[in-house]
Amino acid sequence: MVKTTRRAAMAGAAVASLGLAGRAAADEQTVKIGAVYPLSGNSASAGNYEKMAIELGADIVNNGNAELAKLLPLAKGGGLPGLKGAKIEVVFADNQGTPAAGQNQTLRLISQEKVVAVIGAYQSGITLTASAIAERYGIPFVNPESVAANLTERGFKWFFRVTPVAGDFAKAYSSFLKEQQAAGRKVDSIALVHENTEYGNSVASVIADVFDKDKLNVSMKVAYSANSTDVQPQVLQLKEKNPDVAIFVSYTSDAILYAKTMKEQNWKPAILIADDGGFNDPAFVKAMGSVTEGLISRSVFAPGKPGSVPAICDALYKKKTNGDGLDDVSSRALQGFFVLADAINRAGSTAPAKIQAALRATDIKPEQLVAGYDGVKFNDKGQNILASTLVTQLRNSQYVSVWPKSRATHELILPYKGW
Amino acid sequence: MTTMLLLQVVVSGLLLGAVYALFSSGLSLIWGMMNVVNFAHGEFVMLGMYTAVVVWTAMGGGPWASVPIAAILIATLGVLAYFLLVRHIARGPMLAQILGTFGLALFLRYGALWVFGANFRTLPDDLVGHSFVLGGIRFDGSRVLAGVVGFAVTVLLHLLLTRTAVGSRMLAVSEDATAAQLMGIRPQRMQALAWALAGAATGIAGALIATFFYTSPTVGETLAIVAFVTVALGGFGSVLGALVAGLMIGVVESLSAFLIGPVYKDVIVYAVFVLVLWFRPQGLMGKT
Amino acid sequence: MMTSRRLLQLAAIVVVLAYPIVTGGSPVWQRLGALVLLAAISASAWNIVGGYAGQVSVGHAVFFGIGAYSAVVAFVHLALPPILGAPIGMLLSVGVAAVIGVPTLRLSGHYFSMATIAVGELVRVLSSTSNWLGGAQGLGGPAMPRSVFDLSFLSALPYYYIFLAVLAGLLGLTWWIERGRMGFYLRAIKDSERAARSLGVSAGRYKLYAYMLSAAFTSLAGSLYLCMFGFIDPESGFGILLSVKMVVMAALGGAGQLFGPLIGALILVPLEELSNSLLGGQGAGITFVVYGAIIVIIARFLPSGLLSLLERRPRAPTRKTTATPSAASGHAD
Repeated sequence: MVKTTRRAAMAGAAVASLGLAGRAAADEQTVKIGAVYPLSGNSASAGNYEKMAIELGADIVNNGNAELAKLLPLAKGGGLPGLKGAKIEVVFADNQGTPAAGQNQTLRLISQEKVVAVIGAYQSGITLTASAIAERYGIPFVNPESVAANLTERGFKWFFRVTPVAGDFAKAYSSFLKEQQAAGRKVDSIALVHENTEYGNSVASVIADVFDKDKLNVSMKVAYSANSTDVQPQVLQLKEKNPDVAIFVSYTSDAILYAKTMKEQNWKPAILIADDGGFNDPAFVKAMGSVTEGLISRSVFAPGKPGSVPAICDALYKKKTNGDGLDDVSSRALQGFFVLADAINRAGSTAPAKIQAALRATDIKPEQLVAGYDGVKFNDKGQNILASTLVTQLRNSQYVSVWPKSRATHELILPYKGW
Repeated sequence: MTTMLLLQVVVSGLLLGAVYALFSSGLSLIWGMMNVVNFAHGEFVMLGMYTAVVVWTAMGGGPWASVPIAAILIATLGVLAYFLLVRHIARGPMLAQILGTFGLALFLRYGALWVFGANFRTLPDDLVGHSFVLGGIRFDGSRVLAGVVGFAVTVLLHLLLTRTAVGSRMLAVSEDATAAQLMGIRPQRMQALAWALAGAATGIAGALIATFFYTSPTVGETLAIVAFVTVALGGFGSVLGALVAGLMIGVVESLSAFLIGPVYKDVIVYAVFVLVLWFRPQGLMGKT
Repeated sequence: MMTSRRLLQLAAIVVVLAYPIVTGGSPVWQRLGALVLLAAISASAWNIVGGYAGQVSVGHAVFFGIGAYSAVVAFVHLALPPILGAPIGMLLSVGVAAVIGVPTLRLSGHYFSMATIAVGELVRVLSSTSNWLGGAQGLGGPAMPRSVFDLSFLSALPYYYIFLAVLAGLLGLTWWIERGRMGFYLRAIKDSERAARSLGVSAGRYKLYAYMLSAAFTSLAGSLYLCMFGFIDPESGFGILLSVKMVVMAALGGAGQLFGPLIGALILVPLEELSNSLLGGQGAGITFVVYGAIIVIIARFLPSGLLSLLERRPRAPTRKTTATPSAASGHAD
């Protein structure tokens, strides 16, 4: 073993000018992973939750957790067994919520910090520019959470997306609503209210397309700007039209305003769906949970049965954050990190090409997942084909899974109660 | 039914507009007094909001406690900003004011991120009182309080400037600082007073807005642009102008969001603003 | 004396030319050089109208965005190399500048600034509602370069020299204007528009010329940005922060001075990038606390910009300026 390392080191020195090859010979004690997240700017709240989730993941791999080790081989502690117990070091960088900073920082992580892989970057636009740099350098880029469809359509070979995309969410809503219809609930008119930046626009247009195909009637569409100082007119419009179902695609700021204003104006639909986003922000749940009882959302995360991977991770995360549990975004980040750690471990090397090959061969079973996917397996575009989503409901300021039946921990309760 | 609904929209707009007026009046006062543009104004509002959040978290106090505390704190901040920074840049070119106050804005915004974290905070929605129905129109307690106080503070500020001795001294300084000095007025003292008054009004606005809004380090950005437009539309230095412009923007926003679509409400507000400037370059109530 | 100054100039030129080669081992430092130059281009372009003519536009992102979108549209809708969109963007920007400038340049001081902010926001909101422009999701350039004409390089070295050439051209043009009749008129307008008018200077016309010229080069900066970063959305194209940064950079170095914006960019861009690299990962926004504090300190002690530290050069020594200098340029009359 010593011999090979030395040989590798010599080989590394010989091609040190090429930079990248030197990575394979880097100190095997630690493996550096870069993480690019919005730690300041408008999405700083989400970015910081994701950072804590990834830190938790690194801590689990490096220091182990006895309970989790029964389910997750990597949680035994002592680093990555495939690399002789190398510890993982995550280098965080702030993308400041701008595509430019995202790209600059990714370049720095790769060329200066010599990370072996990059994880990030929350907003789809930033993931787009950041992953373009990783692609050119030939460094694996694992994206745990961006949902824009075009990211996996670029023919990239180093890009791997773990999360489901907007189309998956829309199909979940559609099947869910059709089931309610079959059960005798009215879903004749559906309002689609969405904020007008990338997230809201892309998700809303996919929902509208899927619903249209599935013969669900979207009777009103309301686009609004995310930084609105006031949402009263929108709520009054909804109150006037009074649709059976309202679907909100919002960030935290506007989610809070909607929750408050709907109570002020005393209006609620029979079924209120909030597409993740702001409505799943722990800050929202804490502050507005008491006036949005019965709110339906989608999430890849539900705490699950005691002793399961999500339940244990949720408890550990709560300890780390002083009370905020895992949510959709943070669980996806943690899942993305585990996928990458697993690949590096199986690669048994820090050579980017080996990690890339290991990522391609990823096959993780659902019982080993933090996120509620059917597994993790990438197609040749780098999309996780087993990614799926759960429909959750807010009960006593906590989201529980209510759909699909096979994965539900609680009965669905309708109509929406609110306050 | 539809008239009732429209009336409801207009009332919501007016209440919102009164709040716009309140958090813009401080900006207007300083603009008028010193011809200084405070790019950190939104951050002053933001700090007023955090004051309300902290007062509630620490001692469970509602606006009755947080409004006076925020008024004092932000007034102090205003005076500090005046003596440490603004006094020195006010004599320089307009660019120095943009530079200095923009730096201050970044400093305060991210200082808040550092101290309070990135998470959104909210006050309990029944802190002020529940919503009630009056003549078929729904009113929300916290918005009514903010609107009424906003209206009152703005009018009081206007009266202070136009009907009192201190006010005329302040106006004298704003007209011609050298002449005022010859008449025995100390310009710096008057200008510091203007910053204190503006800070107090801004602090009150922040503490009140916090009761029905979310609070986050970047919330000032959202509010600042509204304040700029309100002040420019009303006419620099005219507190009454800010009130009229604030109410007008509130109603235009609400109606256009309701009738045309919320995405376009900003477009319409900006378009109205540019149009008004085209016909009245000095704003609605600015001096010619 | 002359020789030592010449020597200094020569040294500066050598440093500027050799920088990317010397830093070739570190892509980050190399890229930093390119970022400084790119920021300097847009700030220098702003300087023409904001610095020389004293019309403080806080809406120049409109032109930056037009340039960036023209480039990306050339790729997305016509499959052309993005840079071919640059001249179209410049023409378009000149046209838009005329449309915006005619009504707003009548406004003085703060009113002009506020009007440009409003127009900037207007354009940003409208751009996010256009599907053709990719809506709020934005548009991406070529994912991988198809040919060298896509100007999509992994190394920052080519960008550095392209940006350097553009900046040199822009500064050369500015220098030429500064020396000429137009520069004289602009300074007169800046000092006192009324006085300039009384001297028979067609203030409105010259302000508009400056505005249009400034718009064209800001647009070019936007196109170059697109080539380098390969993605644009309404916020990164038309966001108000972009406009403010142009103003801040020019003001920090010294507005209305040839090298002012470049000096500003030389300070601010590395400050921003390095503090983000060193402190950003901690996730508490300390980057901007430091950044903000430094700007405040400079504004407090050097309200006319860093270049005021050096001895002020005599203004247009061959001509006599009769206009009265006034401290505050922004009095609404």
